[in-house]
Order: sequence, then C-alpha cells, then structure tokens
Amino acid sequence: MKLDTMRRHGLGEVVDAVVIGTGAGGAPLLARLAAAGLRVIALEAGRNREPEDYLTDEALSADLYWRGERLAAGETPQAFGANNSGIGIGGSTLHWGAFVPRVDARDLQLRQDSGQGRDWPIKLDELQPLYVELEAFLGVSGPAHYPWQPARHYPLPALPRNAPAQAMAMGAAQLGVATCNAPAAVVSQDFAQADGPTRLACVHCGYCHQGCRNRAKVSMDTTFLPLAVARGAEIRPGCFAHGLERDSQGRITAVLYRQDGREHRQLCAAVFLCAGAVETPRLLLHLGLGNRSGQVGRNYMAHVATQVWGTFAEEMRGNKGWPSSLMSEAMVRPRDADFAGGYLLQSLGVVPQTWADGVARGRGLWGRALVDYIDRYNFTAGIGINGECLPYDHNRLTLSDEIDETGLPKPHIAFSYGENERRLQAHATRLMTGIWQEAGATDIWALPRSAHTIGTCRMGTDPDDAVVNPFGRSFDIDNLWICDNSVFPSSLAANPALTIMALSLRTAAAFLDR
Amino acid sequence: MHNPKPSQGAAALSLFCLHCLGGSAREWQGVERELGAGISLVGIDLPGFGSAADVPGYSVAAMAEHVAAQVRAAAPGRWMLAGHSMGAKVAAVVARQAVAGAAGLEGLCGLVLLAGSPPGPEPMSEERRADMTGWLDGDAAHRATQAREFVAANAVTLTPEARAAAEVDVLRANPAAWRAWLQSGSREDWAERVGVLPLPALILAGAEDGDLGPEAQRRLMAPHVLTAEHHDLPHARHLLPIEAASTVARLITRFAALPPGETQPPRIPPHYRALLESGRTSTALRDALLARVAPEADTRRAWLPAGAYAVLEAALDRVIPQSPHARIDLAARIERSLAEDAGDGWRFADLPADAEAMHQALLSLDALGRLLHQDGFTGLTDAGRDTLLHRVADGQAAAAAPGLFDGSQMALWFQDLRAMAVKHYVGHPATLARMGYSGVASGGDGPRKSGFTRFGIGEREAWEPVALAGEAP
Ligand SMILES: Cc1cc2nc3c(=O)[nH]c(=O)nc-3n(C[C@H](O)[C@H](O)[C@H](O)COP(=O)(O)OP(=O)(O)OC[C@H]3O[C@@H](n4cnc5c(N)ncnc54)[C@H](O)[C@@H]3O)c2cc1C
Ligand code: SF4
Repeated sequence: MKLDTMRRHGLGEVVDAVVIGTGAGGAPLLARLAAAGLRVIALEAGRNREPEDYLTDEALSADLYWRGERLAAGETPQAFGANNSGIGIGGSTLHWGAFVPRVDARDLQLRQDSGQGRDWPIKLDELQPLYVELEAFLGVSGPAHYPWQPARHYPLPALPRNAPAQAMAMGAAQLGVATCNAPAAVVSQDFAQADGPTRLACVHCGYCHQGCRNRAKVSMDTTFLPLAVARGAEIRPGCFAHGLERDSQGRITAVLYRQDGREHRQLCAAVFLCAGAVETPRLLLHLGLGNRSGQVGRNYMAHVATQVWGTFAEEMRGNKGWPSSLMSEAMVRPRDADFAGGYLLQSLGVVPQTWADGVARGRGLWGRALVDYIDRYNFTAGIGINGECLPYDHNRLTLSDEIDETGLPKPHIAFSYGENERRLQAHATRLMTGIWQEAGATDIWALPRSAHTIGTCRMGTDPDDAVVNPFGRSFDIDNLWICDNSVFPSSLAANPALTIMALSLRTAAAFLDR
Repeated sequence: MHNPKPSQGAAALSLFCLHCLGGSAREWQGVERELGAGISLVGIDLPGFGSAADVPGYSVAAMAEHVAAQVRAAAPGRWMLAGHSMGAKVAAVVARQAVAGAAGLEGLCGLVLLAGSPPGPEPMSEERRADMTGWLDGDAAHRATQAREFVAANAVTLTPEARAAAEVDVLRANPAAWRAWLQSGSREDWAERVGVLPLPALILAGAEDGDLGPEAQRRLMAPHVLTAEHHDLPHARHLLPIEAASTVARLITRFAALPPGETQPPRIPPHYRALLESGRTSTALRDALLARVAPEADTRRAWLPAGAYAVLEAALDRVIPQSPHARIDLAARIERSLAEDAGDGWRFADLPADAEAMHQALLSLDALGRLLHQDGFTGLTDAGRDTLLHRVADGQAAAAAPGLFDGSQMALWFQDLRAMAVKHYVGHPATLARMGYSGVASGGDGPRKSGFTRFGIGEREAWEPVALAGEAP
C-alpha cells in the first residue's frame, strides 16, 4: 500500500498509542484512533506490498505466512504457517479466505445453554451494529435473502457459485439441508473504497489465499489501513516489537522494536497488542507481563475444520471461482447432536499444492495411488466445516527452550481435541459424506484438520480468571490493550475475522471514551 | 511364437508390438532377436492381418479393443506398447484407455512409435489412397506384383528373406481389412480423444520415408505425448522394424531401461508452455514457474552424506514413482530447500529441526531395513521398501537404538516427507500440465486481471488445458 506520503512521528515523541500488528485486530482500531485525531503508530513485523506483487502459486507465496518456527504438540497437533498465520502490512487478511459469517447469538452463551465452554461478556446486540457498519465499509457481497436472519441485507450482490458450490447445493438439498450463497468480504462489483484506490470486481480467479491482485478481496491494506494513513496514522513495516518499557507504576512508556537489525524505542502513552493469538501470548509470556491471572497462553483453540472430498464424473476445477461460495448455518445446533455447539458448512476451492498436501498428509496416500489421485485434481471437490472447539486449560501455548531468529523462545502449542470435538467431527463427516453421495461423488474421504488460532488471552469480567476486560483492556497494566484472536473466550462456530474487526472497533471506542 | 503369452515372471517389461498395414506380428522377429534381456516382446496380429486375417473389426476402435483384450489376457506387470505405422494409431488409442485407468491395462509405462500413423487423419494424397485401395483385389498374379511393389517402395534395403517374408504378410492380409484401413481407419480422427498422453515415447522415423517421415512425426505425433525422444533412422524408409531391426532393437532397449541412474527431466507439453507464455499468465509467475524447470533446479546442494541421500532417493521413488524419462529430481530439491528455505512456520514438537529430522530419519530407515528385512533400505526390492514404508506410516517401525527415531517419530517424519514430495512434484509445471491445471493463467499483467467466466460444473474456458490422464474411469 502507499505509505510514502504518510505522516511520520519521531521516536522521542510520546505518541498516543503504538499498535503492534496490522491484521484484523490492529487495523480497524488504528484507523479509528487516527480518525479521532490521535497520534498513532503501527509496528508491523512483515513487509509492505502492492497487490501487483502477489504470485498465484503457493510456494511462491510463502512469505505471506509467518515462518518463524512454532512447535506443534498434543494429540492433534496443529499446522501453522500457511494454515493460519500471516505476516505483512495487513496480517493474515492478506491470505485469508474472506468468508464472513456473523456470530450466532447462541454461540456467545454456550455455557449458559449447554454447561460447556465459556460465555462471552458481550451480547450479540452489541456486535450487530458493528457488523452492519463493517459490511458496508468493506463492501461485503452476500445473498439477497439470508435464510437464518431474514432481516439481514448485504450491500453488494452475492458472488456466483463455482462448481463445488453447485454440487454441494444439490447434495445438501437432497438431504434437506438449507444452503445459501456465502457472504464474502469480496466486492462483486467495482467498489469505491473510502480513502483508498478503487477495488475492482472479483474476476473469480480463485487465488484469494495467495493474495488478491484485484483488490476485490478485503485485506486490511486495501481497506482500513489506507483510511488510517489518510487520517494521519503512521505504519512502520519490518518492525518486530520485542519489549515494553514501564515506569515505576508499571505503566508502559515505550515499545522496543527491531527494524533491519537495528534496535529502536518508541515512546508512547498506550499500547495495543494485536499480534495474533500466538505472537501476543508469546510476547507477554516472554516479558512476564499481564499474566496475574495465569491465563496467558491457556485455552488455545482451533476450529474443527474437517473437509470431505469426493471425485465427480464431470470437471469441477475447484481452483476457479471465489473458493467458498456456498455455506450453511443449518448445523449451528444440529437436532441430533451429541456434543455442545455446532458448525458452519462451506464449499471449498483449494489450489493444487495445498490440496496435495492434504492428500499426502491427511489421506496418507503415497506411491502409484498418490500419483494417480493427483492426476484427478480437476475432478475432485470438497466441503469443509468450521466447528466449535471448546476451551481447555491444558490446550496451551508455552515457551519452549529453543530461541528463534527474533531472540524470543519458540512457542510450543499443545493442542488435543476433546470428546466434544471428536463427536462434532464425526457428525460433520457423516453429513458431508452424505451430501457428496447425494451429489454423485465417488471415492469419498475425510481430511481431519483444524484452522485458525484462537484464545490464549481471554476477555472476561473477573481479573483472576481473564487477561483483559470485555473491551480488551489488560487487568494488570491499564495502558495495555489487546485486540486480536487471542481475546476470544470461546471459539464460536463462525469464522473469526469479522468478529475480530468488530471487537477492534469496540476496543477503539472504549479507549476513546475512557 | 508371436502370439501373446502370459508374461514370464523373469521379464521385467513386456513390449506389445502392433504391426503396419499389410504386416503381421512376424515383422518384429528381427527386433526381438536383438532386444536386451528383461524385455519380452509380444507381437499381436491386428484384425484382418497375419494369423488374425479372419478376425473381423477393422475400425480403429475395434482394433484397439482387440489389442486391449490381448494385453488383459497377458496380464503384464510393467509394459510398453510399440506401434508401427497403422499400429501406432491403434497404440495411441489403447494408451489413452490405459492412462484413463481402464481395468486390466495398468502398468503401461511408455510408447514406441515407428513411422507412426498419427491419431488424427493420416496425411496421404487422395490419388495414392485410391491407387492402393485396389491392390489386393484381383487375381493372384496381380496381387503378388502389388505386394512386391508395396514392399519395395517402402524400404531402402532388405535382405531377400526379409523381403519375401514381408510380401507373404501382405498377401496374407484380408483385402477387406486392407481397404478398410485405407478408406476409413486412416481417416478416423482420434486427435482430440487421444489428447496428450502422460507417457514417455520413443518416436522413430525413416529419414527417407514420405508422408510419415521425420517432419510428420514431429508435427503430428510428438504433440500427443508428454516426452518424446526422436530418432530419424538414416537409409531407412517406412518398414523400420524390418529394414533397421538392429537399430530399432538397440534404441528400444535403451529407452526401456535407461542405464541405471540416468534419467531425463520431464517436458512441459507445447500446449501448456503456450499457455504459460500467453498474456493470461503474469510475467513474474511465468518466470518463476519456468525457473522450476531449469536444470539448476535439479542440482544438489549436497549436505546429506551419500548414504543417507541414497536412502532419500530410494524412499522418494516409492512415494512418488516417476518414469525415468520424465523424472523431477525430488531428492535434490528437498535437500536443497531444507538447506536454503526459510522454513514453513512450524514443525512437530516431537521431531528435531527439519534438516536434522531428515538425516536422523534416513539413518533410522536404513537401520529398520537391516533390522526387519536383513538389508539396508537401498538394498531392498521395491516390494520390500513398500512393506517397510507401510509399517513406518502405521507407526509400527521403531529402530530401537539410541539416536534413531521411535515408531511415532518415524510416522510423523514420513508424513512430512510425503508433504515435501508432493509440494515439489505438484509445483512443477510438467505436473500441473498432467493435471490439466488452469490456475497458472489467473491474471496476466494488466490493471484488471483476467480470471474465469466459466466455472460451474463441467464448464471450462475454450483455452483451458485438460488433464492428460483424461476423465475418471
Ligand atoms: C489461509 C487462511 C484463510 C482464512 N480464512 C478466513 C475466512 O475465510 N474467514 C475468516 O473469518 N477468517 C479467516 N482466516 C482467519 C483470519 O485471517 C484471522 O483470524 C485474522 O486475520 C486474525 O486476526 P489477528 O489480528 O488476530 O491476527 P493477524 O491478522 O494474523 O495479524 C497479526 C499481525 O501481527 C504481526 N505481528 C505479530 N507479532 C509481531 C511483533 N512482535 N511485532 C510486530 N508485528 C507483529 C503479524 O505480522 C501480523 O501481521 C483465515 C486465515 C488463513 C491463514
Ligand atoms: S477470486 Fe476474486 S477475491 Fe479471490 S483473489 Fe480472485 S479476484 Fe480476488
């Protein structure tokens, strides 16, 4: 994005706030604070890019992913890197899929309803207007009639269905499972973005996960960050924050960071830690800050994101079209569930290297069977879910004794499904298999996987039991705020980014009102 | 002796051979005599010719069905298909079925095409076609003259015995089959149905041949195969298996079994290269993809000790079996990327750092071979290696020695190895071409990138490549 004419601040200038991380959590609040006239600086570990720079090939997109090594442990160790962790001006939204469901009210009070999981200290009524505002600002495309909330209206017409979406719609209809075009943070028409270059309509190239070259897909660097810069924010790329200086009262006075091998110290009056649910707790644990509750790093969650694949007689070519153009909320509370919570269904479009990785790892194919199956790529299609993952104390991020190139200990993330996740996965696998059978698929198989990085600095009302208050403010350090996927008390079935952005606007408002 | 026989256990490779118009399985005798050990030649008489003169069914499809039935009956393990002239067209059609996964045709690993009639209509002047059609009609004397002329016109030099045998074959042909080929078989258009076969081919042409000579082979035959090794045989015309038997045998032997260790890189088929070079692919992507094909990409950056590297190569050959004629050097690429790349952002906590894990796992795999199969991994047969890798995949193989991996570590490493292998395999443009993957053309360089307009079930843009393996069986 264009940064050459942005306002700049001196290192010795005590700015109103430093925001660490420019992803879904950091960018909206940066724009909000700048628009309110505050002097704000964002530090981003990754580099700045133009949409032109993206390469529509997975291996060539590797620098979009956070590549510092994370140690995956537990019974269901989670893959990081390309699976869920971005780096760069815009964070993970550079390579996210841009599927933007809103949260279901029941997911915010799962414990009240089921005795399992943990409730949010927020009600849907507080998020609803923020969703509406975000969808309008970002240019979300969605169905004219949303079956599970008839009053909902999307600003732009839905994106067309690709082949996997068409097949899933057919199969689901046979089973009486309602579906609709998925809401997408992708513009289906040319869209005049406030304070940024026009975003061109989606051309259905299918490369959202490698970065959208048309600006059709929302990423923070094509939406909130140009707005932030236009309102006076400064964004510093290539800056890895590794320390916080404090005064005698324990309040933060400066952020220490490294840029091109040089150490810097930016004075500030407040810090927003928005580094994502792995880097945020890693930094806090490393510094020994904000953890009076002992909750930092605990309750690590990852959505149950099982996929089911099948082979069709006709070409599906799932690489074409916006990848997840069909969805269903029908299973948010399945009637026959033997588990708490539920899941969303979405059609998939997966580009070949990622797909083959799933085949080789998850299906376990090798030898002639692998080569022959890879030859069938154009005839395969998949469906996936995003399912509730309960918070468990033992699913936890800790610091390992290996130091990485940043000088911080590598994070060690122990993650194991519990009985609830296993049951949810089994239910979803049966349903998706049935959908593919109805749609005429053969050679159907399931790929168990988990997605997103959630939890580790949960919000709550009790300082003994939560890291931040319901607005993201640290209970321990009153000028430290956290806003990213780490503050989620529970995973929710909905994919997280829209809700993270809503929390970001909410945190900004609370900061301005304090 | 030329009738199909069940494959002999000893033979590593069966070579099924299809003759030319007016020929028979007998035309391969000279070739068979000089073929290398380990290749068993099975000549097939096509319907209407040789011992099959009374067998009906002269269309290309019927001949292909006849051949497929004989291959099925022989139940070969690894096999190749050779086709001479008319036989080459039939061979291409049978190969398409095999590639598409037709039952009983598994294991086809290459094609030998000699002065082949292409899958599309054969180039032949109408005059010549009309002239030849009537050759086998008429009385015995007339037929004998025509046979003599036909054989003489199609070879540069023949021994008297070879000449006589070839003439006998022509006279044995069923005139109806002869006419059918000239009038319709040679005209049938299979070009689109055959498509690009994901197989290596040895394409031989007689330097002095006419319509089916070197130029026609390059223009009409080569585009239908993934990799083509061309040879134009000097002083030869059209009856290559007869007039150049020794040369043909030598080339086939070399093609069927490249000297150990010798491999060729895969080729990007011309239609796919054209797509990459079109305005639909961005310049940066094109450059990066073509760099993956450059010879340097297969150059080792050696840090693994020789023994461990040999185990890596052997294991990768089982994970992604490739033809030596189109082999991406996965071991070299993986070794290099472990040394040079920035990593992928995670690893299993139960394994050491990626490069160290690789080294330890390879030592463990070798130790497991000795422990469970009395020989190091590279000393095992393919079947032995597979048995061991299955145990590794199941977490059932523990080397049980200090410094070596336990069963679950081996299983995790093998998962990583499979992932590394497919990453390099699928990322290679030759594989993307096999898959018929159209995503390489996702934009171009203009302000508004081109994408796709046809993406529903069964829809494709006119320019989209198709999978070389064809549709699902
Ligand atoms: C492939 C993929 C597909 C996805 N699809 C969807 C989807 O369809 N819908 C959806 O809702 N969600 C999706 N997500 C998830 C979504 O992108 C994330 O949930 C969201 O972006 C998380 O926001 P965040 O602010 O927590 O972290 P991020 O967006 O990851 O931002 C964190 C930023 O902080 C920076 N940073 C970290 N540490 C430091 C440091 N010490 N100093 C300076 N900077 C630092 C990082 O570089 C990064 O830019 C997807 C994610 C991936 C990877
Ligand atoms: S499919 Fe649409 S949103 Fe996705 S990368 Fe292509 S143009 Fe952008």
